[in-house]
Amino acid sequence: MKLAASLLAAILCLAASAWAQEQAFTNRPTELKDKGAAEARTLATLPADTAVKVIARAGAWTQVQANNQTGFVRAFHLRFPVVVEKGSSSGLSSITNIFGGGNRSTQATVATTGIRGLSPEQLKAASPDEAALAKAQSYRADKPAAERFAREGKLTAVKVDEGGSK
Amino acid sequence: MKRVSVAVLLALAASPAFSFDIGKVIDIGRQAVQQQGSPMTKEFSQEDEIGLGNALTASFLGAAPLHPDAGLQRYVNRVGKWIALHSDRPDLPWTFSVIDTETINAFAMPGGSIIVSSGLVKRLNSEAELAGVLAHEIAHVVKKHQLTAIQSGMKADFWKGLGTSVAADHVRIGGGVVGSTVGSIAKPYILDAAGNLIKDGFFLRPLDRSLETEADQLAIVLATRSGYDPYGLVGALQMLAQYKGGADEASLLSTHPSPAERMADLEKFLPTVEPYARSPQLLEARFRQNVK
Repeated sequence: MKLAASLLAAILCLAASAWAQEQAFTNRPTELKDKGAAEARTLATLPADTAVKVIARAGAWTQVQANNQTGFVRAFHLRFPVVVEKGSSSGLSSITNIFGGGNRSTQATVATTGIRGLSPEQLKAASPDEAALAKAQSYRADKPAAERFAREGKLTAVKVDEGGSK
Repeated sequence: MKRVSVAVLLALAASPAFSFDIGKVIDIGRQAVQQQGSPMTKEFSQEDEIGLGNALTASFLGAAPLHPDAGLQRYVNRVGKWIALHSDRPDLPWTFSVIDTETINAFAMPGGSIIVSSGLVKRLNSEAELAGVLAHEIAHVVKKHQLTAIQSGMKADFWKGLGTSVAADHVRIGGGVVGSTVGSIAKPYILDAAGNLIKDGFFLRPLDRSLETEADQLAIVLATRSGYDPYGLVGALQMLAQYKGGADEASLLSTHPSPAERMADLEKFLPTVEPYARSPQLLEARFRQNVK
């Protein structure tokens, strides 16, 4: 467990910048821990729907700031609010709140700036572009290249069967 | 199982000497099918599976261009190939194509061709999250989810349409387009099948929920085998939960169970895999270097 905790700490440091200030809420009552481990000291018990700011994440634990305390909560105990984003090809996009198992209960229409998207009609009307296919295939990685890439990233292969055991 | 050699029939049909007997070829094909009973089933050979994937990928790239960043394409291919090497089908010609669109989506073609949108890749936060997304698509290919759905959908229509396919091919030959480069990526009847799948919107329809769950679980296993943080896919799903594709977009959010439902399933499964993660990597910095 000590090894796991130190690895977690190292990974959290690397991840901290990307996740800074991301807004989330607890999706159930959960404990705020002083470290990312079940046996770590409990700093507070957060009720469901507590607003938190994500600082960093790795593995099963996410480092958050909640009620002016910084600690760790289980990743699965967080939910994330829908971002209303500019990003439809039509200029108008229906934004739906998908929390609550995908219930389409809260809808709002927002203006967008027309960033190009892929529409179902475009996809259905597509004609094959073989030159693009050939180009895409030219980017393939062979086995030695993939293995070298893995070594550079310190990716170590682990034996796990499909059911989740060795 | 007795199999009809479609290739032989097509070869015969393609012969100028056979041009007047095209109807006979079709009849022979139909008779052979009828003799084998109903419902007719045919499994794609691996060669045809790859050809189908090529043809479908070419169509996708006709709808949305490849992202121009060659470094990004190579990076995604390396991540994907490394994961695929830990699957049961490591020797497929795995190809990972980033298409240049803001729409959030990823597609798995039979034969090992994966398409992922730049809109999805750029919203991720680490290589582990990218690995989770690619591993999900790789799992679909390894388990032949799309291929099985395609084959089962063709039980009647594929064979009924075979005559059309042969005739159309013959017309093309008569029109002097023999040797067209279109024919080089797949056999004519595979190209026709791919064209029909695209037109019918096959990739705009959801797969069975149980297949998505299976792909999510195998994705966790493949990512863990490859040395990534098993929670990468969870991070990607948490990102996806923040977005909703527009009604006019071909978004994966309209073809997959909601991220909340998928995370609920993974919450039960992940603890069975997590203990085997020895030194799980997020590789957030490398991701940022390659995804700009």
